[in-house]
Amino acid sequence: MTTPKGISAQVFADGLAEMRSAVGADWVFTSQEDLHTYRDFYSVLWDEPDERVASAAVAPASVEEVQAVVRAANARGIPVYPISTGRNLGYGGAAPVYSGSVVIDLKRMNRIIDVDEGNASCLVEPGVSYFDMYRHLQETGSKLWLDVPDPGWGSMVGNALDSGGGYTAAPYRGHFEAQCGIEAVLGDGELFRTGMGALPGSETWQQYKMGIGPSLDGLFRQSSLGVVTKMGFWLFPQPEAYLSASIDLQRFEDVEPLVDLFNELEYGNIFNGMPSITSPVLTRGNPMMFQPVPEPEVMNRMVEETGLPAWRATAGFYGPEKVIRAQWEYMRDRFSAQFQNVTFKENQFVKLPLSAEDMQKVSKARFGVPSLEIFSVGSNGFGDFNPSDGHIWFSAIIPRTGKGLVEANRVMRRECARLGIPLFMFSPAVTCWTRSFVLFAAVPVYKDGRNKELRDNVQEIIRICAQHGWGEYRCPPAFQDAVMDSYSFNNNILRRVNERIKDALDPNGIISAGRYGVWPKHLRGGRG
Amino acid sequence: MITGLDMDRRNLLKWSAIVPLAAAAPYTALAAVPQGVDALVIDRRHWPAGTPTPLAGLAAPQLFTIDGDVTQLWYQTLDPIWRKPGFVLGGVTGSDALFVLEVLAGDRGRRVTQRRVLDPVVAGLQPVSWIIAPHHPSVKG
Ligand SMILES: Cc1cc2nc3c(=O)[nH]c(=O)nc-3n(C[C@H](O)[C@H](O)[C@H](O)COP(=O)(O)OP(=O)(O)OC[C@H]3O[C@@H](n4cnc5c(N)ncnc54)[C@H](O)[C@@H]3O)c2cc1C
Repeated sequence: MTTPKGISAQVFADGLAEMRSAVGADWVFTSQEDLHTYRDFYSVLWDEPDERVASAAVAPASVEEVQAVVRAANARGIPVYPISTGRNLGYGGAAPVYSGSVVIDLKRMNRIIDVDEGNASCLVEPGVSYFDMYRHLQETGSKLWLDVPDPGWGSMVGNALDSGGGYTAAPYRGHFEAQCGIEAVLGDGELFRTGMGALPGSETWQQYKMGIGPSLDGLFRQSSLGVVTKMGFWLFPQPEAYLSASIDLQRFEDVEPLVDLFNELEYGNIFNGMPSITSPVLTRGNPMMFQPVPEPEVMNRMVEETGLPAWRATAGFYGPEKVIRAQWEYMRDRFSAQFQNVTFKENQFVKLPLSAEDMQKVSKARFGVPSLEIFSVGSNGFGDFNPSDGHIWFSAIIPRTGKGLVEANRVMRRECARLGIPLFMFSPAVTCWTRSFVLFAAVPVYKDGRNKELRDNVQEIIRICAQHGWGEYRCPPAFQDAVMDSYSFNNNILRRVNERIKDALDPNGIISAGRYGVWPKHLRGGRG
Repeated sequence: MITGLDMDRRNLLKWSAIVPLAAAAPYTALAAVPQGVDALVIDRRHWPAGTPTPLAGLAAPQLFTIDGDVTQLWYQTLDPIWRKPGFVLGGVTGSDALFVLEVLAGDRGRRVTQRRVLDPVVAGLQPVSWIIAPHHPSVKG
């Protein structure tokens, strides 16, 4: 059995014994075989000495058991790393950021505590997966939708805490934006609630996020400050219909006014589905690979030669049929008034709930239906994607302007080509969140020793992006220090304040050490 | 990773129908179909297009087919079964489908207890013959 650095075998054994008596011997795991399941199967450090691995795992089934586990760890300075379902593939999997931590696996805490149909909200434990919630909503005949990421096997809590996102309407698809109320066990074992949850007897925990005073929910996003044991979410009242429609424009020069108008319409609530801007002429070979944007005259010539549009903006509309058709008509009017040579297309219209037939045809995540089909898309021709080899996501926030989109595309494509970073997905202009664009790139990882070069190259890309003012919103553990470093305003005050909060709330530094570049005092010097 | 599995406790005869099938199959993967399991998953992608599927000949009470995506099989069938003790599942699927099933099985205290990588890789698809069996005391039959 490996022990966490700086903890003697005796102290560690003692700590595990106390954890065993809290959760039962069957739910503390120390064998290599068991711990293998807590490795990050997409790790860029796979099988290397620095791979982040757990020293043990413990699976409590209640808040009280979590408190007991945290107290046992805190008394001895044993590092712990809470996960919900641990499916964070591409961003770290189930493995701890600080090697040797004891993973607190919360999968057994899988109770759906409440679904409030009138308030369109729920309160769940961390082990509740998207599939669990979907099943519950189906079985109870609920008229509420949840919003899901591409793989449905993750948890509402874990995904939201890492700032994950999905594909339905704007207030729901940013999962941390859709949270309303958090309960967490702090480093000393105390139980804490945010918002109206702090007011005993309140019935408004899932209605009003902020409560009184500074809003503290953010303390638990991508953080190392607590073990979240309950979380509330707003759910989407099932709309009557869905429409996906797109607008095609023919000239390179259209991109800036296109994004401006698109923004105005989305921010003015003319459409509420996920926006995307792509280029049919630059994604000819593979819709998942946005090729480098060439000079204007070259792109315009490509458009003429191929007959394919330069730009395509796609919007989704959720709502009553009458309303969304009127919204789409208004959108067409606005684009027709501003652009020459604009063409419109209705891609898909479906009445909801989905019929069994429609269910087979649609992209399920747009309808809040969890699925795992993403793991077989590689074999269906969407790029060279093998789930067992894996990949990491590079996810930078870029300006939501035409200029920003083009520049991010050019810089990223040029630098990735220069460094020889093989991409199998590159999409520069989508977002799960309100008012942002994210540049998503999927980079394959290896199990055969090529990862060192890959890591160096990704670090370089992080640095180049930061020089342009583009920062990653989420990243795998191997890059979290570098990304946190890049948020360097005022001598990295962001990290320094995070460290002060860490020291105050978790003075022994036991929880999720190093997560997103925030290390406890005793590990700060060498950064873990 | 690989632990022993007590195959004798299962009724091998249940799968005797597979044996003649294996000889006739257009794809060698079928020859590696695991035996002595409670149910079998076959990934249809491993049959060349246009080949009549030999599965019709299998009168197995529990034969599941997928086309790479395990979602429906897992959600409708395996998840409820895997919440209860027991149940040994075998399969010949792509390595991508096995990856997903293996992770899901882990959630319910189950492990891949046998894994045999098969030839040939067709269109990037690596066929694997495997068995997933209960491992954690909470689901050991
Ligand atoms: C092919 C593919 C497609 C993907 N598509 C998407 C997508 O569309 N959208 C998306 O968001 N992601 C996507 N991902 C990334 C990832 O798989 C999901 O975000 C997944 O939901 C995260 O895993 P999880 O829900 O099990 O969270 P976990 O792994 O449980 O949690 C993530 C992290 O949050 C922290 N944490 C979790 N629970 C707690 C807790 N209770 N207390 C304190 N800290 C906690 C831990 O640091 C943990 O490592 C994709 C991945 C792949 C491989």
